Amino acid sequence: MSINNSTDKVTTYSAQSEICSPHQLLNDIISDTWNGRDLAWRLFLRNVRGMYRQTLLGLFWAFLPPIANTSVWIFLRQQGVFSTGDIGVNATLYILTGMILWQSFSETVQMPLKILNQNRSMISKLRISRESLVMLGLGEVFFNLMIRVLLLLPALLWFGVSLSWVVLWAPLTIVLMVLWGTGIGLLLMPIGTLYQDVGKFLQLALPFWMIITPIIYLASDTFPGILLVWLNPASPLLLFSRDLILLGSSNFWIPAILVGTMAIPMFLLGMIVFRVAIPVLVERMST
Amino acid sequence: MIHSATSNTDDLILNVDHVWKMYCRNLKLSMRYGVQDLAREVLGKGRDRTQADLRPGEFCAVKDAHFQVRSGECLAMLGPNGAGKSSMLKLINGLLKPDAGAITIRGSVGAMIELGTGFNPILSGRENVYVNGSILGISKSEIDKRFEEVVEFAELGHVIDTPIMTYSTGMKMRLGFSIGANLRPKLLLIDEVLAVGDVGFRMKCFAHLRKLVEDGVCIILVTHAVGMLSRVATRSIVFDQGSIIHNGDLETGCVVYEETMGASDRISGKSQMPSSTTATGTAIKSTTITNQNGVATREFETGEDILVKIEVQSDSALDDLNLVAALWSPVHGRIASMSTANQNVTFSASADSTIAVTLRFKQVPLLLGAYHFNVSLYGPVPTEFYHRLTGVGNFRIIGPPTCSLGRGINGIVKINHQWKIG
Repeated sequence: MSINNSTDKVTTYSAQSEICSPHQLLNDIISDTWNGRDLAWRLFLRNVRGMYRQTLLGLFWAFLPPIANTSVWIFLRQQGVFSTGDIGVNATLYILTGMILWQSFSETVQMPLKILNQNRSMISKLRISRESLVMLGLGEVFFNLMIRVLLLLPALLWFGVSLSWVVLWAPLTIVLMVLWGTGIGLLLMPIGTLYQDVGKFLQLALPFWMIITPIIYLASDTFPGILLVWLNPASPLLLFSRDLILLGSSNFWIPAILVGTMAIPMFLLGMIVFRVAIPVLVERMST
Repeated sequence: MIHSATSNTDDLILNVDHVWKMYCRNLKLSMRYGVQDLAREVLGKGRDRTQADLRPGEFCAVKDAHFQVRSGECLAMLGPNGAGKSSMLKLINGLLKPDAGAITIRGSVGAMIELGTGFNPILSGRENVYVNGSILGISKSEIDKRFEEVVEFAELGHVIDTPIMTYSTGMKMRLGFSIGANLRPKLLLIDEVLAVGDVGFRMKCFAHLRKLVEDGVCIILVTHAVGMLSRVATRSIVFDQGSIIHNGDLETGCVVYEETMGASDRISGKSQMPSSTTATGTAIKSTTITNQNGVATREFETGEDILVKIEVQSDSALDDLNLVAALWSPVHGRIASMSTANQNVTFSASADSTIAVTLRFKQVPLLLGAYHFNVSLYGPVPTEFYHRLTGVGNFRIIGPPTCSLGRGINGIVKINHQWKIG
């Protein structure tokens, strides 16, 4: 057909799955991610500006959840409801750091489903770079994380924690944790968009998931307590990051390295599933 | 989706090659099929499916669509609601995957499907121009360059820094259109967004689209405002129940579209429109359209004579019967209504008789389009109602061509007139 004999880019849509041309698929993901960076930035600015413009307390609302959560747990600990064990660092700081990391992880798991629902109208009507929505979601996760880290820094100074040089690894492990969580979220997103049960289950399961993640108590390195680290996908990178920040060393480096090496492939797999799933999902959004 | 790039040029921009698209209206089944389709996509098992492969509860939203669009063409996509136009537009835009066939596009695609997508009501018009521009694929530097132009086109300079939630719906639509107007793709898709603002602004929008076509931008326009189409469209495609029933000139497309708006079934005699009647045995038996020679036909030119032959049947003797005939256009609604009473023509029926009444239109002034009648039968007073047939006596005016560019006649009727200088 003569349309293929042109100097312009030629695009063909057919029933064939994109996954049948893996090289092309990866190229498309990379180019759409690059081309969608401006859109992601604009949408990020729109959301952040819109989020706090009509509030009296502004950014304070970003700080409030970890403060409130930590206060509740500290209160319960002081009442003897639970014990953190011998953690070797101030319990408030220990719980606050864990809470900040957990909130980022739980946000990343829920993020893909959330951004798709929030941008349902846009995604079902316009051919935008879908990858930009993932970037937007990641941007919001990191923005919230940065705000919470701003809360953590004075707390570290206040409790006199002397940071070791290994803390420089923490940003990398936190990024890997975010990518790992996003990968899980991206894999859940297609089914979650079709069946709302997934979203409802996540809402129900996340508080329990937090309890079985050693955030407010000391993780055991002996059987069976160690299973909470090895079998819980949230634990390895979260605990390892917290240990690097507060203790300068960690007993969980093996599970952390294992999960850390899987984080980027998991994220890429999630991106591929996200991309090939979108047309199928858009079809269900528009009928 | 496959991309390729080689040399040589051609004016073919879009090739829709025997495309099919299936939907399922049953929510639970649709979700289940969604899981199956997801699995197929992820495992790379996607394959062509046509009508023979329909799953239970599915229907064809687009059936074997096949057409091409070339550079500088403005294609009007017409059809009643649910005919498959918007699905076709989504397929071309890459939002949906075809179930069979292929769509090949040369060059960039822009879309004005929903004006003001992504507007945040709390942010100002200025901020939203950048947000919406990014969503439409316009770079920040391009928006910077054209910002004043956008605001001027939308005529919103005085409120551009106030939150958009203070704008009226029309103002938001104007701003949305003005941003989209800066798109310069090879192929521009427009879906029902031309009902923007007042008449003056709409004219400005059409003028802008005409300029784009002149500059070589290819436009596919979905609209129900057929009266406006000749301002910009050069060709038309009419969809009905997923199939393309017309692919050709605009004028014929408009007539075909009007017929599909409820009249096509009646013309072909496939169905009888509902009639209302009292319990009496007096009713309108039939309605036939003929030309001045008494030959049954449904196609006329403006200025020809049209005869409507109405047969009334009665099983009892009745005096002073009256007929009312209302002329309708599926698109424009009721055009005129005329009654025997108005011309002091009454007729009587004896028991078990059939009476023929002829309504003659001399030199009918109607312009291009499809038309039909609603015919009612009354007694001597309007409260004495016997019978009504709706959607009968369908006919179409097929010529001469109209023109909405100020170089001919246009509208529903041709009014006798004369221009004089001085």
